[in-house]
Amino acid sequence: MELERSDREFMHPGHVGCPGCGAAIAMRFLLKALGEKTMMIIPACCWSVIAGPYPTTTLKIPVIHSAFETGGAVASGVRAALDMKGDRDTTVVTWAGDGGTFDIGFQALSGAVERNEDFIYVCYDNEAYMNTGIQRSSSTPYGAWTTTTPGKDWKKMRKKNIVEALAAHRIPYAATASISHPEDLVRKVRRAQATGGSRFLHIFASCPTGWKIPSEMAVKIARMAVQTNIFPLYEVEEGLHYTINTKPKRFPVREYFKIQGRFQHLTDADLDVIQKMVDEDWELLLRKAGEHA
Amino acid sequence: MVEKAQARAESENPIRIMPRSTRSTEGNKTGSWRYLRPRYEEKTAPCSAACPAGEDIGKVEMLTSQGLFKEAWETILRENPFPGVCGRVCFHPCEGSCNRGEFDDPIAIRAVERFLADTAERYDLKPLLERLPARPEKIAVAGAGPSGLAAAWFLTQLGYACDVFEASPEAGGILRWGIPLYRLPLAALQHEIARIEAQGVRIHTGRPVTPGFLRDLETSYSAVYLACGHGRTTALRVPGEELDGVGDGLAFLERIRRGETPDVRGMSVIIGGGNTAVDVARSIVRLGGEALILYRRRRKDMPAFGDEVQMALEEGVKLEELVAPERIEKDGGRIRITLRHMRIAGEEGGRGRIEPDGDRTSRVVAERLFKATGAEAGEAWYNPPPAGKGTVALSHCALSLREGRPALARGGDLTNGIKSVAHAIASGKQAAIALDTLFREGADSILSRLEACTVGVGPSLSMEIHMGGERRLRNRHVVVYGEINTDYFRYAPRMTQPRLVRAERARSFAEIDLRVSGNIAMREAERCFNCGLCDQCDNCHLFCPDLAVLRGKEGLGRSINYDYCKGCGLCVVECPRNAMTLEEEDR
Repeated sequence: MELERSDREFMHPGHVGCPGCGAAIAMRFLLKALGEKTMMIIPACCWSVIAGPYPTTTLKIPVIHSAFETGGAVASGVRAALDMKGDRDTTVVTWAGDGGTFDIGFQALSGAVERNEDFIYVCYDNEAYMNTGIQRSSSTPYGAWTTTTPGKDWKKMRKKNIVEALAAHRIPYAATASISHPEDLVRKVRRAQATGGSRFLHIFASCPTGWKIPSEMAVKIARMAVQTNIFPLYEVEEGLHYTINTKPKRFPVREYFKIQGRFQHLTDADLDVIQKMVDEDWELLLRKAGEHA
Repeated sequence: MVEKAQARAESENPIRIMPRSTRSTEGNKTGSWRYLRPRYEEKTAPCSAACPAGEDIGKVEMLTSQGLFKEAWETILRENPFPGVCGRVCFHPCEGSCNRGEFDDPIAIRAVERFLADTAERYDLKPLLERLPARPEKIAVAGAGPSGLAAAWFLTQLGYACDVFEASPEAGGILRWGIPLYRLPLAALQHEIARIEAQGVRIHTGRPVTPGFLRDLETSYSAVYLACGHGRTTALRVPGEELDGVGDGLAFLERIRRGETPDVRGMSVIIGGGNTAVDVARSIVRLGGEALILYRRRRKDMPAFGDEVQMALEEGVKLEELVAPERIEKDGGRIRITLRHMRIAGEEGGRGRIEPDGDRTSRVVAERLFKATGAEAGEAWYNPPPAGKGTVALSHCALSLREGRPALARGGDLTNGIKSVAHAIASGKQAAIALDTLFREGADSILSRLEACTVGVGPSLSMEIHMGGERRLRNRHVVVYGEINTDYFRYAPRMTQPRLVRAERARSFAEIDLRVSGNIAMREAERCFNCGLCDQCDNCHLFCPDLAVLRGKEGLGRSINYDYCKGCGLCVVECPRNAMTLEEEDR
């Protein structure tokens, strides 16, 4: 695989992420691409725990653990402080889960990118509040079981389209990426790093624990999300210019849902509804990219 | 003053405004969580198990795709001294078992083998192969065909001095006298034989094996390998087959290979459906005659290679199916063949079972007829005695161990159900391993030794395993298509073998299959899944969430740090080639 052939790692082993943790893989790829001149803000999320209990740390870069809702604001402050010191080389990154991005941290994020603060905001998306016990977030997809959408009350709302929300702020760069496509992910991180202003990366990071999947399937399932167009890989510049990075063969969504415990209750009719949603979203994306199916 | 005092107090006793972690998490040995354990374990590719010679095809393709042509060629030579021959005329069962066939098309394994042999020939490469120290025993081989030469090649590598005795004036057996030049050019064969001789094998031509000569051999050699082939065409068992104008297909091919140009004007009829029948017909067309093949089953039942039949028909050879000769008679200066028509009455062993189609008969008149329905041993005593009484029938050879006399092994066409070059080589290899084990460990160890050298479920054998090479570490499990992570492979069409066009080949014995470029061969080899083999793609290292997969020195080799491996199994699933195994933790 053509990816950073050097052995540079900015993570220590011994972290407490679950076996097969997609968020740990995402962090590894991100830091391989960013390098050591990086400062990171981690609002409350799984990674608040994975990064290590005091006084230990999993990361070889400076990290500030921040309150849940402040990912955008703390990053703005760190950037301002570095600017005061004349340090323009260090990249400031907020690393937040979907809860801290889609829900609780959304206003701080929206405010920061509206000011076009010079930082990268990365949301690693495992589609629920996994660390606190699998509560639904506005990133949880339609059809999913969580502990707050149990039994027949599975989630009946669509997943919020966060990249579109950020693109609507007309930020310089927004992109999706997946742990299943490391070259694409690393390229996008490098591109974000080379761009000024507010940049947003939405990384699909599977969660074996919360999705009720075997840990060894974590990457496979992330790849299936791309192959089925459930999680398309694309980039948006200035909120206007769309580039779709892979155009999969549009495998039916059924296989993706059938192998995950969180979707076991769905009937074939439910899956037909979901297929329609996925197709609709894909058509919309194609239109935005100036392409037609 | 107050401010100054405060500043002094802070510098002497700095206020920690936030706690700061400085120690790494490495002290936390997360390996204790593990109840499943991944490990590196190479497995067996289906092609290598299907190859009668047990070639390590997955590795050959891997090395070829990396441009390591000499190493790839040497990898073949460890298991088969005839890549230039097999790269042209093998019936390639490997390709039929190729997992890639379920994805798009099988790898063109034979064409890649031929490319490697061509490259070795072009650059006059000398193989660097492992060789065991010299042994005191001398071994005689009767017959310098593919089986005899293969046995001598392997025995030489195992440290034995070998003499090969051949009845004809030149070595090669069926390869020299029975396969037309348009399929196997002389230079390609001579190159292989020269390399076998350069290895130390002594070939003595013009020395037919008689019972007396065999007795002489037994006095000066520790063992004899009898591989004098099936050189005599089997009788048709129909009235009139002794008439003038009725010839023997193999003898006809041999005349051509000796340099004669037999008169083939007018119509020739060939009885049979194997490669010899097709070769005779195509040779006749090249010499300016007309050829009609009569076969008692259907075209799809013919043992001849489908491609060869197709090309024969394109070249003008005629084929009549479902007819069997009943009677051959003189008709003036010509011969008249009465044919009984057959029909299909079911299937048996993968081909049609036939029965007479009522009383239907027809007649064909031709200038001459060639028998090509199969061959048998030139002398009845060449054939192995029935098993028991000191003779063990192994999968590819028969071994006679007689008290007070040297061991006698028989192989090649004398023992093989399927008469192919690859099977002949398999016989030579099996005999070499069996004799080597006999001398080193005694007769009782032969069966267990052969079992230990088996590739996959067998019966193919590996000389590399016998000689203690790395291949012995592989699991025998034959990788199936479902075990390949096809997400890592892209659809790519199989290479097309460039060939002489019909007009160019119609009147010439020039080789039909043309050379391919290194570029084409590498691209073809790149398509290979390398089932069960690690090509250091790095997926295991890359996807490990726990940084527990370590690269070896200079990036070569991988190992697992079990201090931190949580046993998630991602590395095993993301391995494209099934070169890893996940098993229950033993504690």
